[in-house]
Amino acid sequence: MIPSTWIDMPAPGTLPEHRREALESYLAQGLPHTRLEDWHYTALDHLARLPLHPPAAADVTPVIDEAPGHDLIFAGERLIETRSSLPASLLHPLAEGELTAAPTLAPGTALSALNAALWKSGGYLTVPRGQRLERPVFLRFLADEPEAMLHPRSLIRLEAGAEVVVVESYTGATAANYWCNPVTEIELEAGARLTHIRLIEEGTAATHTGLTAVRQVADSRYELLDLSLGGRVCRHELYLTLTGAGAACRLDGLFLADGRRHSDHHLRIEHAVPGSMSRATYRGVAAGRGRGIFDARVLIRPGADGTDARQDSRNLLLSPHAEIDAKPQLEIYADQVQASHGATVGRLSEDAMFYLRARGIERHAARRLLLAAFAGEALGLVAQAGLGDWLMPRIEARLNEIGESIK
Amino acid sequence: MLEIRDLHVSIGDKPILKGISLTILPGEVHAIMGPNGSGKSTLAQVLAGREGYTVTAGAVTWQGQDLLAMAPEERAWAGLFLGFQYPLEIPGVANVQLLKEAVNSQRRRKGLPELDAFDFLERVKASLKLLEMDEAMLYRGVNEGFSGGEKKRNEILQMLMLEPRLAILDETDSGLDIDALKIVARGVNALRGPERAILLVTHYQRLLEHITPDHVHVLADGRIVASGGRELALELEAKGYGWLTAEAGQEARP
Ligand SMILES: Nc1ncnc2c1ncn2[C@@H]1O[C@H](COP(=O)(O)OP(=O)(O)OP(=O)(O)O)[C@@H](O)[C@H]1O
Ligand SMILES: [Mg+2]
Repeated sequence: MIPSTWIDMPAPGTLPEHRREALESYLAQGLPHTRLEDWHYTALDHLARLPLHPPAAADVTPVIDEAPGHDLIFAGERLIETRSSLPASLLHPLAEGELTAAPTLAPGTALSALNAALWKSGGYLTVPRGQRLERPVFLRFLADEPEAMLHPRSLIRLEAGAEVVVVESYTGATAANYWCNPVTEIELEAGARLTHIRLIEEGTAATHTGLTAVRQVADSRYELLDLSLGGRVCRHELYLTLTGAGAACRLDGLFLADGRRHSDHHLRIEHAVPGSMSRATYRGVAAGRGRGIFDARVLIRPGADGTDARQDSRNLLLSPHAEIDAKPQLEIYADQVQASHGATVGRLSEDAMFYLRARGIERHAARRLLLAAFAGEALGLVAQAGLGDWLMPRIEARLNEIGESIK
Repeated sequence: MLEIRDLHVSIGDKPILKGISLTILPGEVHAIMGPNGSGKSTLAQVLAGREGYTVTAGAVTWQGQDLLAMAPEERAWAGLFLGFQYPLEIPGVANVQLLKEAVNSQRRRKGLPELDAFDFLERVKASLKLLEMDEAMLYRGVNEGFSGGEKKRNEILQMLMLEPRLAILDETDSGLDIDALKIVARGVNALRGPERAILLVTHYQRLLEHITPDHVHVLADGRIVASGGRELALELEAKGYGWLTAEAGQEARP
């Protein structure tokens, strides 16, 4: 069902076949609700009450900061600027044919199907065999129109031995109650290496329901920094499949859920063959009436012997009204695996606070230091990707806000 | 500069300090000795503003102000420093970061501009040198993985950077080897001056050979049971605490 409040939704019959099928799949499933096991923690009911509509063709081009890399900038689902010295064959807006020609990696969830039916633009990046791109590639999506419904779609392919850093960022205007529902598919061939910084920095009234699907083969390496700094209701789903020996992924995450923010991190990792490795290290902070969720499941398939999988979720609860749900799960059907998971929810250490204050450091500054130290445990990829100058001020500004918001 | 009058402190319902009175004047060095569990650290922590203690009676005046009404950071700005008996490890906060924040928040309070990176580093390096500490220590997490002796030196480093009016050093000498003890004493002596005072909590007369106290007090069961000059420390070393606590016990009986 399409909610009756939504405006200008296409009729399935008017769409090309693959989009029609996707829309029908969405119609059959409907908007997710909290009675579904996978959506237990995140309610989207408000979306059914908003007069959501496709973005209007904007007549003003927002001014956007210089990013330290090749950069595709989208606003309201239109490409507004390309700042790149890469050959266009490597980096360009995704074309319909490119998506239909590529293997589908995203699962057929309701929201991923809706994206497949309605997407208008997004990035396409391919790095040829053995090439290493010196500078990061940015795919940046801006939103500012209230009640707009955005479905960006991106495709990233690294051929054998290719290497690149990609920054995928979602930014929005304060107080605009739009909905961004992006899908990004990533395919890593043998020995390829991708460092992926995914940044949710949506406006304070926005809803973000993003999905990333990754398929890795032998000896490839995927490194994700899953950052959730802004937006009202946010969810990121990661579906990652390791289908080759020696494939490894490092999944780092940091979410800051203050005020009334809701940030849900939904990880589904699948070890399909022997000898692959996964590491998830998430740090969460909840303050005010914020709520953070780490809901991760590692599935080790029969025969995926010698898998090495670890999940580590540590969280800070900074107010009595904030909430954290940390749910790391393991499903093991193979032998001789090394698998572990741990989750903690705690508070800022009183002892550490006193020690710092006894040195004359004000309470809020002491809190900021301790918060930064905590968050830093998940931020190793920032410096490694050479993005400290671009990224750290954003994270630090948010940590400061949180430090100062606490009584 | 510091006046403690009949201070009673409890943790929960348990009285720990049972009427401490002590006056410290500028330029003086006081030493507090006493058996384990007698309340020395409690006194030090209460003076620094640690929460979790209940002051049930008495008062503490610091340079004319009610010390107990001040927040820990305000006490630090007013020139009070506590060297912790067990310095805390704070992984992820670099030592240099703590020092910089601490020095600059103190300067802001005094209406001084923040130290620029160069001046700051100059000053830290001079202190590091005095304490024979490796510069690499600056970039490690606060006390993270430091040995016992390194932690104590690190406390003294912080003290030197903050230049307090009154330094309370809670067993800063414990766990130090002979050379480290001399180095720490050198750090403390570098701070001494006519307007500064030092309160040493120690179990050993050894430290007092390097930092000569003007007054020595013995704390037992939450009370000061004896006060004297530095010869009292020597006497304690020879005789232990038994004779004092026995006397105190007899006095307490009717
Ligand atoms: N949180 C607490 N709850 C209950 N009792 C406590 C607590 N903290 C300290 N005490 C008690 O208070 C008393 C004084 O402790 P304090 O640490 O001040 O002793 P101290 O003189 O510094 O001893 P030491 O020489 O061993 O360092 C001890 O009996 C100790 O067990
Ligand atoms: Mg003690």
